[in-house]
Amino acid sequence: MNDILAVDAQGVTKTYGSLRAVDDISVRVAAGEVYGVLGPNGAGKTTFLRMLFGLIRPDAGTIRVFGKTWEDSGVRVLDGVAGFIESPRFYPYLTGRQNLEGLALLDGGTPTGLLEEVLDVVEMSERADQKVGGYSYGMRQRLGVAASLLREPRLLVLDEPANGLDPAGIRDMRALVKRLAGRGLTVLLSSHDMEEVEEICDNVTIMTRGTVAFHGTIAQLRTMAPDPGHVLATTDDVRALKLAENRFAITVARDPGAALIVTGPPTEVSSYVGSLVSADIGLLALTPTRTPLEALFFMLTDDPTHQSLDRPAQLQDTLR
Amino acid sequence: MTQPITQPMTTGQSAPVRTVGPDHVARRLPGPLTALRWEVRKLRAQYRARAVLLVAVLAPVAIVVVIHGQSRPPKDTLFGRFAIDNGFALSLLVLGFASQWVLPLLTAIVAGDVFASEDQHGTWKTVLTRSTSRSRLFWAKTITAGAFATLVLVLLAVSTIASSWMIVGHQPLIGLSGQTIPAGTALQLVAASWAMMLPPMLAFTCLAILLSVWSRNPAVGIAAPVVLAMVMQLVGALGGVEAIRPFLVTTSFEAWHGLLTEPRFSGPLIEGLLVSGGWCVASLATAFVLLRRRDITGG
Ligand SMILES: Nc1ncnc2c1ncn2[C@@H]1O[C@H](COP(=O)(O)OP(=O)(O)OP(=O)(O)O)[C@@H](O)[C@H]1O
Ligand SMILES: [Mg+2]
Repeated sequence: MNDILAVDAQGVTKTYGSLRAVDDISVRVAAGEVYGVLGPNGAGKTTFLRMLFGLIRPDAGTIRVFGKTWEDSGVRVLDGVAGFIESPRFYPYLTGRQNLEGLALLDGGTPTGLLEEVLDVVEMSERADQKVGGYSYGMRQRLGVAASLLREPRLLVLDEPANGLDPAGIRDMRALVKRLAGRGLTVLLSSHDMEEVEEICDNVTIMTRGTVAFHGTIAQLRTMAPDPGHVLATTDDVRALKLAENRFAITVARDPGAALIVTGPPTEVSSYVGSLVSADIGLLALTPTRTPLEALFFMLTDDPTHQSLDRPAQLQDTLR
Repeated sequence: MTQPITQPMTTGQSAPVRTVGPDHVARRLPGPLTALRWEVRKLRAQYRARAVLLVAVLAPVAIVVVIHGQSRPPKDTLFGRFAIDNGFALSLLVLGFASQWVLPLLTAIVAGDVFASEDQHGTWKTVLTRSTSRSRLFWAKTITAGAFATLVLVLLAVSTIASSWMIVGHQPLIGLSGQTIPAGTALQLVAASWAMMLPPMLAFTCLAILLSVWSRNPAVGIAAPVVLAMVMQLVGALGGVEAIRPFLVTTSFEAWHGLLTEPRFSGPLIEGLLVSGGWCVASLATAFVLLRRRDITGG
């Protein structure tokens, strides 16, 4: 039974008018893994997850969840699946607890005590008897997690769960996902934040404009990442540029913002900076630009017309 | 079988929560009535629904008191002439007034909102990602709206008949053919007349459901049935529309006239039942298909 994939989506397509929101994508999530669907705004992440939940119907392709499809199992395809799409929504005129009780009814009931336990996990026990209409965004998000755990899921589907949370909320949310995953829960989560996916996911699909730009493990992704870049500010940028001319392992370019951008392996960058100091050029700042994975993410998901200029040739080959 | 899965979201004291391991397959299935229970529970929590019930009980009493206190009767309405001093006539006067747009409005306040409010609150995605199918939710909401309409009508009828009986009196009633109807029979006929409002009222309930599913907007779901009722009444009152008049829902609102003539006739009652039934089936079938097919993209 562990051979059954938690999610097996094949050739899934959804169009809105002339827009291909999701264009022939395939995603396979094995049971027990934490899978990230990463992409910028409008990439089609939410559309894909909505199809998984049966909220919208794909125009083409099939989605199997633990081996079942909507066509043959109806709503039973969601047995063992829980989560939320975009920000979780509840009935504002009911309390948090009443909302959960109602959702439990629609699930066919929950074991006694579970409701209190999930409220405890998301630390909402004290506010549970207030109307949801008075909740903050973060509290609704927490209630959404509680509502999902109430289903005792095997697969948890979260659409940008950290969206709109403060830094502490984001940290807690990630910690919770990691703990749940540690207990064998399969997690499928979407995000636009490479750092988040890098931190908690095993595998990732990077989407852009409805299509898949990358499929694989985080480790694979790391090997493709470009060298880290640094913003360099000196007392004499002209000489600093000149000193870089015969160092082939690094590139130094003038940024539109007038600073210098140095890219290359860390040892080479450090040796170059050393040479600046020896040449009596004052060093004002050396700060990392994006993390390498972030930089890769932008390369993978940027508009193709702009991409070819700064995308290394070997990377383009890997992407084919 | 159960195992602690996690502590509270923030680090610190541990509160074990039960969740399932990856091998867990069995799931409880909701019974056929659970969705209905949930809808009723939500309705009871809504201020709006309680207000409608309160109005259905109190408004007739107020109207009866006011009309009873008038010195001149509203002669140009059906049973208006006797309304000041005959409780049965007054009940029928209120009935005639209620059937113009009050009944469609009272039912639409719930039926026109029951689907569209899920759009308004963005909660379709919340309920449809549980273990209850769209069809079940559809029927639960429809039955809730229908039961609410019935309850409103019963309250309205009982309140009207009881308050006019007590405040105005229960003398024999002069029927539409000038016949005198003894009090006992009159009470039965008045009650039956109110009961005959149910089929067209349910037809408006179903229309409100359709409009609510189609528009996804509670304001449209509530207001449009009332406007439709007025338009139907207007069309029905025009000359030269004999061919379509029987098919208007509002025509069924007048079927009770046949009970108060001598001899009684039940043709309009049966016609009304069929026409109302037709509107119900057509509205619900369309609403059902719309809801089953639609993409849930909001929320
Ligand atoms: N109901 C809809 N009607 C028309 N277009 C839609 C609809 N829903 C989504 N789209 C379009 O489909 C594309 C994908 O949208 P989607 O919401 O799936 O993106 P996303 O990856 O979740 O983005 P975000 O990070 O902003 O949440 C977008 O271009 C969006 O405008
Ligand atoms: Mg999204």
